[in-house]
Amino acid sequence: MTPLTLFWLASLLLLAMGLAGLITRRTLVGMLISVELMLNGAGLAIVAAAKCTGFSEVHGQLAALFVMGLAAAEATLVLAMILVVQKRFGQVTTAEITTIGAKGGH
Amino acid sequence: MDQIITHFLAALRAPLDALEGLIASWLPGQQVAALVAFGVYVLIILAGGLLAIGSRNLVRAMMGLILTFLGVAGFYLLLASPFLAFMQLLIYVGAVGVLVFFAIMLTKNNTQGEEANLPKLSNGILGFLAGLAPLVALGPLIVLYGPKIGEKSYQATDTAILGRGLITTDLVSFELISIILLTAMAGGVFLAWRRRPQSRSN
Repeated sequence: MTPLTLFWLASLLLLAMGLAGLITRRTLVGMLISVELMLNGAGLAIVAAAKCTGFSEVHGQLAALFVMGLAAAEATLVLAMILVVQKRFGQVTTAEITTIGAKGGH
Repeated sequence: MDQIITHFLAALRAPLDALEGLIASWLPGQQVAALVAFGVYVLIILAGGLLAIGSRNLVRAMMGLILTFLGVAGFYLLLASPFLAFMQLLIYVGAVGVLVFFAIMLTKNNTQGEEANLPKLSNGILGFLAGLAPLVALGPLIVLYGPKIGEKSYQATDTAILGRGLITTDLVSFELISIILLTAMAGGVFLAWRRRPQSRSN
């Protein structure tokens, strides 16, 4: 077990938990939380790979910083979308949000 | 007689020595502390992640998410990347955590609502399978075929080098990410703002 293997297993754990949460959660907010879990795993895997292999560690860390920036942008947009959906449907349950355009869902 | 006892003791010690050698091959030198810290951080992200995906109260789920962020920040420290650990605290714990909290509070979804009920059994099974799939598919690959290289250096990465990379080799990515952030912010403001008069008139 090299350090790289251990860190990759930890990030794999984050990916698995995020995927499980993405399927199990039934509201947009819960799914946003799960996606953030998976993005954290991605950043961790990138940094570990850059630190433990011959690849330039500066590039790896900058890539992880970009992942963080993307996650922040994504969270902002998802928050705005959740607000719009909340205003239009009165709820953010995925099973109820099945129509586009028509007001009020079912 | 003495010889027999010595041989007997040696035979007793042999598996212990083998075990010790095995452990020593895992832990060269003073890496024991790092491994203990790693185990603690794994426990933290496991507990936080399970809370984040399993809690029926979304505010508790958010606290689990923040716990996971803290664990990952610890991983970054273990990887000798202090700047990333700091950014993890600043961006994820600070900004994303607050954003998720806003999302929870603005949807009035904290204690009652859909997430307060247990998920359907079929959903639970599907979620379990979805979590199991990457573990089964990628776990053996990582363990068996991952590159067999140790950590390059335990020297903490200098923040100045990171900054220099940001304005030389990775300048384009840097500019692109700023454009993406600006677009996301403008889109967020647009989406959340334009609907307000409409909902007020209803």
